[in-house]
Amino acid sequence: MQLQPIFASLKHHKLTALLLVLQVAFSCAIITNAVFLIVQRVQRVTTPSGLDERALSLVEVDDLDAGANPLALHKTDLAALRKLPGVESAALISNVPFSNSEHGSGGCTSLAAVHAVMKAQSLNVPGCAQADVYAGTPGTLRTLGLKLVAGRMFDADEYVPDKPSDQSVIASAMIVTQDFARRLYPEHPDHVVGRDVYFGEGLMKGQPTRIVGVVAHLHQANVSSDGSDDQSALLPVEPNELRALFALRSSPARQDSVIKAAVAALNKSNPGRQVSANDAQTYAHMRASYFQGDTTMIGLLLASALGLVFVTALGIAGLASFWVQQRRRSIGIRRAIGAARGDILHYFQIENFLIVTGGVMLGLLLAVALNLWLMSHYELSRLPLFYLPIGALAMWLLGQLAVLSPALRAAAVPPVVATRSV
Amino acid sequence: MFRYYLHLALRRCRQSLPMVALLSLTMAIGIASCMTALTIFGALSGEPLPGISPHLQVVTMDARETVDKDNNGYDKADSYLNWVDAKALVDAQRARQQVGLAQSYAQVARPDGKQSSQVMGLMAYGPVLGMLGVPVRDGRPWTLEEQTEHVPVVVIDSDLAEKLFGTENAVGRRVSMGGHDFRVTGVSAPWKPRTQFLDLPRNQGDVLGQSEQFFVPAQAALAAGVGPLTAGECGKGAAIVSFQSAEVGKCRWLEVWAALDTPASVSAYRQFVVGYADAQHAAGRLVYPPKAALYGVQAWMAVNHVVPDDVGLNLALAGAFLLLCLVNVAGLLAARFLRRQADVTIRRALGASRREVFVQHLVETGVLGLLGGLLALPLTWLGLWIVRMQPVAYADAAHFSPSAFAVLLLLSLAVGLMVGILPAWRVCRQPPAMQIKLA
Repeated sequence: MQLQPIFASLKHHKLTALLLVLQVAFSCAIITNAVFLIVQRVQRVTTPSGLDERALSLVEVDDLDAGANPLALHKTDLAALRKLPGVESAALISNVPFSNSEHGSGGCTSLAAVHAVMKAQSLNVPGCAQADVYAGTPGTLRTLGLKLVAGRMFDADEYVPDKPSDQSVIASAMIVTQDFARRLYPEHPDHVVGRDVYFGEGLMKGQPTRIVGVVAHLHQANVSSDGSDDQSALLPVEPNELRALFALRSSPARQDSVIKAAVAALNKSNPGRQVSANDAQTYAHMRASYFQGDTTMIGLLLASALGLVFVTALGIAGLASFWVQQRRRSIGIRRAIGAARGDILHYFQIENFLIVTGGVMLGLLLAVALNLWLMSHYELSRLPLFYLPIGALAMWLLGQLAVLSPALRAAAVPPVVATRSV
Repeated sequence: MFRYYLHLALRRCRQSLPMVALLSLTMAIGIASCMTALTIFGALSGEPLPGISPHLQVVTMDARETVDKDNNGYDKADSYLNWVDAKALVDAQRARQQVGLAQSYAQVARPDGKQSSQVMGLMAYGPVLGMLGVPVRDGRPWTLEEQTEHVPVVVIDSDLAEKLFGTENAVGRRVSMGGHDFRVTGVSAPWKPRTQFLDLPRNQGDVLGQSEQFFVPAQAALAAGVGPLTAGECGKGAAIVSFQSAEVGKCRWLEVWAALDTPASVSAYRQFVVGYADAQHAAGRLVYPPKAALYGVQAWMAVNHVVPDDVGLNLALAGAFLLLCLVNVAGLLAARFLRRQADVTIRRALGASRREVFVQHLVETGVLGLLGGLLALPLTWLGLWIVRMQPVAYADAAHFSPSAFAVLLLLSLAVGLMVGILPAWRVCRQPPAMQIKLA
């Protein structure tokens, strides 16, 4: 089929064709960016925590009158929790990923690096790095479902109770994530077990902590924007605060009953305190509330994107219908002098393809411009280039789908129309 | 003539109902999405205290008195000062008004213990009610003498008075806070800023302002064991969060806000604060270079990301959506008008001027726009309802207001006229003779 007649006829509809091109362009630019935003948010929401999240439950207790050594009280609680039916393992832990409560500490691989840190008053020194600290009682790794990739778990004699409030204790052993190991020892990240790190309080006192194991992943307490989110360390330090966080692992089916039983057991063991159902939740639930804002935004973006697609399709189909009605007579004439139905169908399809192509050209430029504008105003990353051909393809497909019904109607115009006067 | 055009427009609309429905619905969706985002954005942006907050500035400086090793670097402006610095800045009286304040959450009870309530309030050093414009309904704020003498006095709001005493008239009565008696010197009207801007580090994640239900002189409160919401930053690097502690001697827990009316007074005050901080650093009290600075309310809220980015992003998206709907409708309208070329031609041939044809078509699109606005009303309401259902911090801001209705009607009229301009212009440009031939 020749394109010339199509161009010639489009020239007669300059304004409407131009508006259609603009519409496709805007639509292409917005949808490409919206999809990019959605994908990013979905990636955020699905960030792996490194834990085995199924069947993990959390109970938080605030014991304001626990005295100077709350750990003793909480260990009794822990023993009671372990005895509950359905509980496979339990631990008292400092915090979990996506819990909003973070505690970071710096670590250095050598005393020379420690001195450099002291001098620079900053951890941005080669051989030093910052990590989020997770502490817990024996059984923490098993309860959280962390996977060791090298080394060993903590030995029983390595666990030490934390000191209350302002002095902190120096652990003899630590387990780090692969990412943190890589940050500390960029040259040989796979051989970190057995090495000494001056970490946390040990950094100040010049006392080393030995790396005994490496876990694959353990996400930091919060999601940051710079992407360095797996810098974590586990310490065999038993949390000793008024606030206690218990992690419970059970079979998925018994999770609800275990949570209920845990709340009841904790209230029973110390009648003075009030643990409510709100203090106990599944890990999945806590995680969902951490990412609530993102989930809401995904819903909004998705609704907007669908609305855009719908409106664009409606616009294309509406205009095509008008054109078909307007050209009934000329279609009839073409049919009468020998054009097949397919020719008419293809005419409208090709016309649509040309218009959408024009729109896509402009739209891709607009998409990049919109992305740059968004980047300058919000914390967004650059639109990966592969989104552009996908966006273009989607617009072509959308155009063809929208024009199909009017084009079929055009193809169904009988040649006899040519003989009637309008 | 206008009434005739209106009549014509309505007549034409009746002729092609499905098309009219499509056009107005498309506009309605665009307008509704924009109105939803605008309502939320409008509620969250703008001044937290109209007429008052534009004059307020918060003092920030690195006021750490000890070397702080776990915190690597002072990367963000910090508004918390310890008592010594806050008192010195307030006592200097270099601004029109200045106040050191911190949020507190305290149990306020009747002395007989029969009624009590856990409420948010402000502990302050300075004329807090006057500076923030909290209306005092009855009685008076505390005086300078009462403040310096640490007299246990308090101003409570009328809601709290009603709750405790069953009447708003509580001046002269006594309430118990932290086990100590405080005399009520005044009853304030219920007061809350539109958005959170005071004590932001203690209110992370909050977007909307909270009701402050009591106002108490800071020293008297501390003496009674009533402390700030959290102890703030206490000596060691990491924040030791001990709730409600009155042991804040070593902590940085107060913000100093100053009311300054002119750019000149702001820069003079900035010089004073920088000078004070640098002198303290030189004297060795503040161990780090203090980098003192002042922030206006808007800038301070921006630095602390009070209004989530998502709100602005939504507005941008909704605006883009509306734009797309406009282009869409314009295209359809162009086609619709051009189909009627024959009618236009006859009118032109009978003597109608281009201007008249143009106006006639604009009236028609205006009617369509208003129709879209009418449809957008329930859609906006639905959109806001959906937002309110979401567990996000700004959900409560999603309320439809009468002023929003006016904005909506204006917006839809503007939308209708805007989309009509191009197609109407196109129609009236056709020479009459040409069209008669075509017809």
